[in-house]
Order: sequence, then C-alpha cells, then structure tokens
Amino acid sequence: MSEKSITASRRHMGLKAASRVSNTLIHILLTVISVIWLIPFVFILLQSFRVESTWQVGYVVPKTWGFANYINLFDSDFPRWYMNTFIVAVVTAVLQTVIVLCMSYTLSRFRFKGRKLLMRFMMILGMFPGMLTMIILYRVLSDLGMTQANAVPGLILVYIASSGMGYYVSKGFFDTIPKSLDEAARVDGATRFQVLKKIILPLSKPIVIYTILTAFMAPWGDYVFAQYVSMGTSAGKNVAVGMYGWLNKDQIASRYTMFCAGGVLVALPVTILFMCLQKYYVEGVTGGAVKG
Amino acid sequence: MKQYTDLEYLRLNRLQRLGYRLASGFRAIPKKLASFFAGIGRGIGKAGRAAANEFSDIFTTFINGDFKTKMSYLVMGFGNIARGQVLRGLLFLLFEIVFIGYMVLAGGYWIGMLPSLGFQGREEVMSKGKFGRSVTTYVYHDDSFKILLYGVLTIFFIIAFIYTWRLNIKQNQIAEKILKSGKRLKSGRDDLRSLVDDQFHKTLLALPLTGIVVFTVLPIIFMILVAFTNYSGANDGRVNLFHWMGLDNFNAMLNWSSGATSYAATFGEVLAWTLIWAFFATFTNYFLGMLVAMAINKKGIKFKKGWRTILVLTIAIPQFISLLYVSKMFAKDGLINLTLMDLGIIDMEHLLPFWEDPTWARITVILINIWIGIPYLMLITTGILMNIPADLYESARIDGANAWQQYSKITLPYMLFVTGPYLLTSFTGNMNNFNVIYLLTGGAPTNYKSTAPGTVGYTDLLITWLFKITQGAEAKYYLASVVGILVFVVVAVISLIVYNLLPSIKNEEDFQ
Amino acid sequence: MKKVLALILAVMMVFSVCAFASAEETYEFDITVWVAEEIKDLTMKQIEDFNANNEFGIKFNATVEPVSESEAATNMIVDVEAGGDIFCFAQDQFARLVQAGALAKLSPEAAEAAGAANTAGVVAAATSGDAMYAFPLTADNGYFMYYDKTVVPEEHIDSMEDIIADCEAAGKFFSFEMESSAWYLASFFFATGCESEWTTDEDGEFISVNDTFNSPNGLIAVKGMKKLVDSVSHNSSSAGSAFASGSAVVVTGTWDYNTVLDILGDNMGVADLPCFTVDGVQYHLGSYNGCKLMGIKPQVDEDKAAALELLGEYLTGEQCQLERFEERSWGPANLAAQGSEAVQANPGLVALNAQAPYSIPQGQIHGSWWDIAKVIGDDVKAAEDEAGLQTALDNYTAKIAALFTMTSDEKNAWTVIGTCNLTDGFFYTDYNNETRSNWTDDIPMVEEDGIWKTTQAYEMEIGVEFKVRQGRSWDNAFPADNFKVEEAGTYFITLDPATGAVELVAE
Repeated sequence: MSEKSITASRRHMGLKAASRVSNTLIHILLTVISVIWLIPFVFILLQSFRVESTWQVGYVVPKTWGFANYINLFDSDFPRWYMNTFIVAVVTAVLQTVIVLCMSYTLSRFRFKGRKLLMRFMMILGMFPGMLTMIILYRVLSDLGMTQANAVPGLILVYIASSGMGYYVSKGFFDTIPKSLDEAARVDGATRFQVLKKIILPLSKPIVIYTILTAFMAPWGDYVFAQYVSMGTSAGKNVAVGMYGWLNKDQIASRYTMFCAGGVLVALPVTILFMCLQKYYVEGVTGGAVKG
Repeated sequence: MKQYTDLEYLRLNRLQRLGYRLASGFRAIPKKLASFFAGIGRGIGKAGRAAANEFSDIFTTFINGDFKTKMSYLVMGFGNIARGQVLRGLLFLLFEIVFIGYMVLAGGYWIGMLPSLGFQGREEVMSKGKFGRSVTTYVYHDDSFKILLYGVLTIFFIIAFIYTWRLNIKQNQIAEKILKSGKRLKSGRDDLRSLVDDQFHKTLLALPLTGIVVFTVLPIIFMILVAFTNYSGANDGRVNLFHWMGLDNFNAMLNWSSGATSYAATFGEVLAWTLIWAFFATFTNYFLGMLVAMAINKKGIKFKKGWRTILVLTIAIPQFISLLYVSKMFAKDGLINLTLMDLGIIDMEHLLPFWEDPTWARITVILINIWIGIPYLMLITTGILMNIPADLYESARIDGANAWQQYSKITLPYMLFVTGPYLLTSFTGNMNNFNVIYLLTGGAPTNYKSTAPGTVGYTDLLITWLFKITQGAEAKYYLASVVGILVFVVVAVISLIVYNLLPSIKNEEDFQ
Repeated sequence: MKKVLALILAVMMVFSVCAFASAEETYEFDITVWVAEEIKDLTMKQIEDFNANNEFGIKFNATVEPVSESEAATNMIVDVEAGGDIFCFAQDQFARLVQAGALAKLSPEAAEAAGAANTAGVVAAATSGDAMYAFPLTADNGYFMYYDKTVVPEEHIDSMEDIIADCEAAGKFFSFEMESSAWYLASFFFATGCESEWTTDEDGEFISVNDTFNSPNGLIAVKGMKKLVDSVSHNSSSAGSAFASGSAVVVTGTWDYNTVLDILGDNMGVADLPCFTVDGVQYHLGSYNGCKLMGIKPQVDEDKAAALELLGEYLTGEQCQLERFEERSWGPANLAAQGSEAVQANPGLVALNAQAPYSIPQGQIHGSWWDIAKVIGDDVKAAEDEAGLQTALDNYTAKIAALFTMTSDEKNAWTVIGTCNLTDGFFYTDYNNETRSNWTDDIPMVEEDGIWKTTQAYEMEIGVEFKVRQGRSWDNAFPADNFKVEEAGTYFITLDPATGAVELVAE
C-alpha cells in the first residue's frame, strides 16, 4: 500500500464513525420533520371522531369517540358533492391526459412553422392572472346552460379546455426519449400516428400516470371557480365549495367536526392513489419538470 | 463598471463572478429593452411589407388565374371542387356559408353594438293588478356583457374567415401550378391520410388549441377590454349597462395625486410584499427541500421510502382542508397558543400574534409555505440528485473535500444549472400563489391605511387582492382588470430579466 | 267551402282557448327559493301550506336551496337572472342589491300591508327612497353578552371594567369583535350618543350621511374602547364556540344561543351589554338592531311576479315568522308575533330586549362604511395617546368624506341633461346612436345675476327634449316634464331657479 492510500483508508475509517453520528442525527431530524408534517392530518383525523361536541375546542384527543360525524355526513348533501367531484375528477383525468399528451408530444417531436411562436405565446398567456377570467367563463358556461345544477359538465369543460397550456412537464419528459427511435420507425414506413402508438406511449408510462394523477387531484381542491359555477345550488357543488360553506359563521359551530370527517373522506381516494402510484409520480416529475 | 476580459474573469472568485454577471446582466437590460422595442419596430415594418406582398399576390393571382380561380374569390372552394378536390372544396364552401349565415343572423348585430355596448338596460313596467297586486315587472333589453363577449368572438371569426379565404386563394394558385407541371393533385383520401402522418401535428393540436383560444385567449382579451369600461357589480351589463371609459381606470389606479392614500401607493405596497414573498417562498423551499432530499438520499439512512411517503402525503390532501385547519391552529385562541399556555410557556399577555401582527403574519405564511412546498421540492430534487455522477463525489472525497465543499462545489452548481428554468417558473408561480394566502389568512391583517377597494391586508398578494376586488357587493371588475394587466406587466418584466441573467438557457435539443 | 272551413277552425280555436283558460285556473310556477340551511325543510313545508290554502289556486313547484344570507346577496349580484326567485339576506346588503337591480319593487298594496304589520325599524331597513323592496323576515340581528357565571359574578355584569378584571384574574378571554367588524365596534360610539345615519334614493344610491363619530363624544367612545382592546384578556371574536377555547365572555347574538348553552350548560349567563366609565361618567354600550329580509327577484312574467309576491307575503307573515321562532328561535319582526307569550319568554330574546333601549335600528348603511369603520379598532389599539385616538377619528372622517366627492359648489350648480353630443354641440331627438350621450352627461351652466346659462349655444332639432337639474340629482329639476324644443335653431339654455322657468335664448 502506498502511503497515500493508507491515509485515505484511515480517513475512511474516521469518516465511518463520523457518518454514523451524522446518520443518527439525520434520523432524529427526519423523525421530527415527519411529526411536524403529520400533525395536522393526525389532528384532523382525531377531530373527526370527536362526538362530545361539534365546534372547535382547545384540545386534540376526543373525550368520547364515535362515528357520528361520518354518519351525519350521509344525512347532508355531502354524498352528492362527493359524487360530483369524483365524476369531474375521473373525466377530467382522462380527457386532460389525452389533450396534454397530444400537445406535449407534438411540441416535442414535430418541427413545424410557428412552433416556437406558439410556445412563446402560451408562455405569455400563462402570465395573465386567471382570477378575473372566471366571471367571464361563468357567463359563457351559463349561456351554454352548464351552470348551477349542471355544474359538473361545465366544470369538466373548463378544466380540460385550457389544459393544453400545461404541456411543459410532459414535453420535458418526451424530450428525454431519443428521437432516433422515431426516425428508425419512420424509415420502416410507420406513420406518425403509429410511432406515437407503438413506440412512444409504451415508454411514457410514468408521465402518463403523472398527468392522470395531477389532473385527478386538482378538482378536489378547486374552490374558487367551482363556487361561481355552482352558485345557489347545492346539487351542483363540489366537496370544496360545499364544505367551505360549513365554515360559515352560521354553521361552523354545528359542522366543524363534520368538516374534519369530510376532509378525511376527501383525502382518502387521492392519498390511496398517490401511495400506489408514487413511483411513477416521482419519475414523471423528475423526468419532466426540470428538463423543459 | 469595468469590463473584464475572459482571462480576468477567470481569475475572479465565485462571488465576484456572480456579482459581475449580475451587474453586467442588469447593465444589459436597457440595451436588451431597446433591442426588444427595436425588434418590435422591425417586426411591424416586416409585417407591413408582408401585408403589401399579400395584397399584390392576391391581386396578381386574380389577374393571372383561370376561371375556376377567379370564381373562388367569390365562392370559396369552387376551384377545389372544379379540380376534383371535392372534400377540401366542400369544407371551404361550408365554412363560407356558415360564416355568412352567422354574420347576417348575429355577428353583424354584435359588431354594430360593440362601440356603444348597448343603449338601454332593464326597464320597469307597472302591471295591471293580477291577484289584486299592482306589481312591477321588468323587461330586459341590451346586454353589455354579451355584446362585448360576442363582439370579440365575432372579430375572431372574421379574422379566421379572412385567413381561410386567403388560404383558399393560395390553394388555387398552387393547384394551377401543379396541374400546369403535369402532376396529380392530392385527393381527399390523401388529405385524410396526411392528417395522421405529415400533418399529424395539426390533428393533435386542433382540439387543445381550440380549447385554449375559446377558454383562455378570449377571456383574457375580454379581461383586458374590461379595464377600459365601468363593469362592476352594480353595472353588470344587463340590469345596468356598462360603457367604455377610456383610460379613466388606469388614471384612478396609477395616479399619485393623493400621496400615501392613493391606489398607486397600495399597489406599490402589495407589489413589494408579493416580490418579497415570492423570493422567500421560492428559495426557502428550494434549499430546504434539497436538504431534506439529500438527507433521505444519504447512504445509511433507513426507511427511505417511508420518509418520502410521509412527506408526499401533504401533496395528496387538498389544500383547502389542510390549510384551513392549519390556519385555525395558529389563531389567537387556536391550538398552538392554547397549548403553549397550558404548558406555562406563555401567558395571556404574551399570546403569539400569528395572524394579528403584520410582520408575524408574513413570517408565519412563509413558514407554513415551507411545510407545503418541501415535499414537491424533495420529489423533484431527489431524482436530479441521484443523476449526479457518483464518481464526482468519490474523487472529491479523495482530494479531501469536506461535506460543505462537496455541496458547494458539486451539488449546488449542478442543481442550479439543471433547475434554473424551474426556479424562474416557481418564482412567478409563487407571485400568483393564490391558495396559500387566501386559505391561510385571506390577506389579514387588514391594512387600514389603504383606501383602495378590496380591503387590502398585509399578507395580500396582488393576485388575492385582485380576487377580493371582484368579490362581494362592491365588486369592481374594471379595477381588478387594471390590477390584472399590471400583474402581467410585472411578471413579464421579471421573466425577461431573469431569462437574460440565467447562465445558460439550455438548448431544447440537448436532451435528445 | 274555404270560408266554411275557416269558420269551423275559428270556432274550434275559440273552444280550445276556453278549455285552456278553464284549465289554467290553477296557476303553476317553477321557482327556486334560497334560504338558510336551518330553515330549509320548514320553508318547504310552508310553501306547501301556501299551495294548499291560497285563494287563487296558485301552485308553486319549489326547489329550496340552502344558501346562507351572506352568500345570497353576493350570488345575486354576480348573476341576477340565475338567482333565486325568493331569497333571504341580511339588511346590510340591501342598498347594494337595489343598486344592482336584484330586488323587485313591492307593489303598493304589499308595501302597505308589510309596513303596518312589522316593526318600524325593519320596514325602514327594507325601504329605499319611497319604495319598499323586501319583506321583513326577522328582527333579531343584534348582539348582547353571554358570560360564564363561574368567572364573572352576576354583580359585575354591569361594568365592563369589572368584567375585564375578572377575565384577567381568571386567565380567560373577553371576546368582543373589535378588530374586523364595524358592526360590533359601533357599540362604543352609540354608547356616547354618536350616530351615523345614511340616506338613499330610489335607485339605492347614497345621497348623504349624518355622521358624528368624530366629535367630543366620539373621543370618549374610543377612550372606552381603548380600555378594552388594551386588556390582555381581549380577544377579537364573536363566535359562540369561543367559550370552548378559553373565553369567559362573548358578545354575539341569538344565533349562538344553543352553541353556548351546549358548552356552558347551567353556567351560561346572558345579559345586556355592560357600561364603561370614562372620566367618572358611565356609558351603557349600545348596539345595532338589525334584521334579515326576504326579497323577490325581478320578474319578467306578470302572473309569476304577483304570485311570488303573495308567497313572499305569506312566508313573512305572522304565522310563518312564529313557526320559525318555534323551530329555530328566530326573533320575529311581525308585531303580532312579537307579542306572543313564547317570544316574550325566550331567554335570548329577553337579553336582546334588555339591550333594546340602548340599540339603534341599522337602517341603510353605505357598503364602504363597514370597511372604513372596522379599522377604528386597530387604530385605537395602535394609538399611544389621546392625540393618536383623535387621529384615528380624523382618518375615519376623511374616508367618509371621500365617499361623497361632490363639493358644495357642485351640489348647488345647475346642469342640463338630455340627448346630445358634447363635442360638436348638437342636441338630438333620437338617442339610438353611440356618438350621443343618452341622458348621462351633464352640460355645465354658469350663474349670472341669479340666472343660470349654458356656456355655449347648442344646435337643436325640433322635438329635442332635456331637463335642467341641480347637483346632478333629480331632487330639483325643471321643467317638471321634459322641455321640448318647438323650433329648430341654435340656442343657449337659461334657467331662473327662483321660478323654475327654462328658456331658450337664440344665439
């Protein structure tokens, strides 16, 4: 052994001890972080089982446990809102994925006149705050008869209509798939459509799942626009709008624990999906988010 | 400032280099802006010449064209049909018929009403006394909102028609040329086939772009136009008409005549906080998220997947639930204060004013935003971190670099390089981060010095303020629209600057 | 032959019309009704009662939607036509709803009946200009004090200072919303006799205000307020559930009665608001006495409008108000219902009644006032001395004044209004042209020896109409009917305000 390698190995041993200490510290740190991150959810879960009172209280652990809040949910309009949101989420997830993939695949693979211009144009569009356009979209939907009780198709339409603007992440992903694959297939006489179907899509599982997942999640949390579209009709509300109403001054005292229970039920499908598909989500994000 | 040569530049240390780059970047802004406007000027000139060419081309095509071509100037698609391209021809013809029909039945009316936005709003009528009641009934007349909306839509349609008409002429010109050279024209079947092959991009883009035009472009143009009207909750366009106001709203928003109580002062304050917020929200999340990702990635850490899953849970749960709950936890009589009081750490005189004090509230939202943002950043950075070649670290270690040196010499530069564009989008994204502020504080505590509409608070971002202006009984869409346009200007300027400062905007093709 | 056929057809048509007419003796309408969630089922039942009992055979197929009172007003303003045919709202939204044209004017018959049957304060709240626009629904939108008997002994409830001391000693909160609600903080001003009274015209526009918050008495009020907000026990909240998180006193209304009762049980006390003492003088805290109203959406169809009015009248009549009281403890606005024994005995309403002598009816208040006034609490808290308190009041007055930007000169000035083009100096007969101002822009006049005259001559066609008015409002306008030009020409317009004579003077 040369002298250099001996010192290196000594240092290596010293490092090992040091890394054991630092690893322990990191474990502790991660535990603390995890606790902080979980606290609100655990608290919401605990509150949802509290039956001795329905308003906000200064303690966390219920004095009496029970399912009353969940049972009450089914006496309210909550199941209706839940179904609305679920339908919107599923349909949006499917259609939006198709549109986003069309858009991003085209922008990644084709070189046509006006492509750069189109991308720049969409970037500029994205800089306008969308808040104000909601009143306009509301009036358009209202003309189409897609508001109030028919809010579900209206919401779907608006969610998917502009979803092409969100091509960024999946375009980044497609960019990472070697173009030589397409070209080889084209030489073999495949049409563009066949290339997409036979070659690109099978390689794009992560980004497809990522897109589905994000599209599925968004409708559960949309309060602002959904509130316009469903105004004055309980039957057209989604969970966010409906449950937000429970925090109104005149209702919060009798609905607060129900709000928590509803929150748990809303979080459930998304969380489960997320757990199962986490791997793809991560691949999708890292594959696409930063490589545009 | 001194301009360095390459050699001198290389002699500088990191910090000096960064400073130099920033300074020269900023110095370049006036030049860049100048060249930007010059570019616009050139563009206009170019467009003018192009238009002139178009007109002369249209004219010569008519003069030189055969009967079929000439006929197509009036009946779109005539030439196509006459030359056997029936499918194309019918589509052109159909479009023309639809267009003319629309213009006669509706479009003409909307365009005609556009300059006035309507003459008569709702009218009251006294009735005769059904059921013994002389009630008032109401007759609706014009609708400014619809006039504006459909007026703009009709203009879109006219532009589309002119474009199609031009296309129709060009096709005649091309077809004549092809036939003259003795080649065969494309059949309808060829056209259809090309839609899944050569022209596949058109097929793929048709639907998404239609959606974007109708549901994004049209509303944005409408929104911009609203800034020049007096559209508000009371002047909704149907009951009470709204009208064109010229630049009045911009005057109201931007003039400084009443000093600290003018709207402009409020705008400045909110803008300043929005920028501060965006800066901290972006960079705290970025560095802390990276740190957590590195900690989890570190060799010898157990339950890697478990830690990640716990963090990712926060992404899965809708923000309106978690943030509203967290917001209540931090209230003056919320869980945190009460618990601290129970533990005897604070007493009633020293309750923590999380949402009551402006500075506290601002810091609290930034901290809570870390709670929301770290999981995303952890996810994004995990993958990139793993992509950094391990031998880089190995050789650094052999050279005796400590952890900090490894981080600052390898990890950070690599990360900044790869995620540069992401940082920019997340900065502008944070400027418009509606959910976090709206759900946590709703903008509170209120800034009572401001007289601007919308009850501005100290944690309000431009976007939440804009939203508040459009809400409730005092909704003033016209002012919100002015704010919206200003937000756009700010975001665009920042993007322009940052793009010019970024060390390298990566070439798209790099990854292929 | 043809003629015979035509005759037969005509006869058949007459018959069928008659047949339809007799079938239409029952009037059937599909309507949407927006009420608070808690009275949803009750309202459904009440509408069915109406269907069964009304004398005209009116039948409503009602969809009752739970829409809270605050939401209803906002939604109506976003889209009047999509709104509920009948909807309930708190009175502070009233003027705004009238301005937005979201309320149908009540017929004189209904206004008269409702005006006689309900408390005057509530009727005033539903009236703008001379017209009544809504039916009174409740009269219990006021506040009083709930307290925890274990913390605040009964002998202390008359003094704000004692209550603060009790709360501080016990480490409990005194919850009184001072930082974000003008509605509550006005309490201190009313205690010292300050007022803020607003006047609206028939379009719901605010014409004037009589506001004395910035006065020596107002200064006393903010001194009292300062005592409260400076106490460590003060908590700016008006939620009944605050008792569950450390409050011993909460100032709120009847709607929190059941919540507080659930939390405190036998320890619950209710009382009128206490007194505060400044410079040795005691002032009893005042309050707003507000109400909820039921409005009808402006209708296109006359039958439906009249039928809806009958329904609105029924739903706000004595019987229905009593039913709402029995089921939900909503305090009635109906005088007969108020007199019933059960209402007289209700503890929440008793406390409200105890507070009544110190409360003032809310009337019409400018929508911006709430935002302007609610910051007084923060200002007072931040103030370090009496000068600071005075500044708070000065800021307040400045903002109120800014709401009425017209100077007194502008208020006195006379102007001409009609269909004209200001730039080219023409008057027109037809308004259907976008280049002309259609009774929207005023033409200035100047005074000379008591006679007002336009600054330039205008070209006028025959039949042109205009009016001369003062202060750009219609309170003073001449001539009573529009002035009609009988001979085309170029004229100055003059007015003698003393006689109201309008004349054309040829150039």
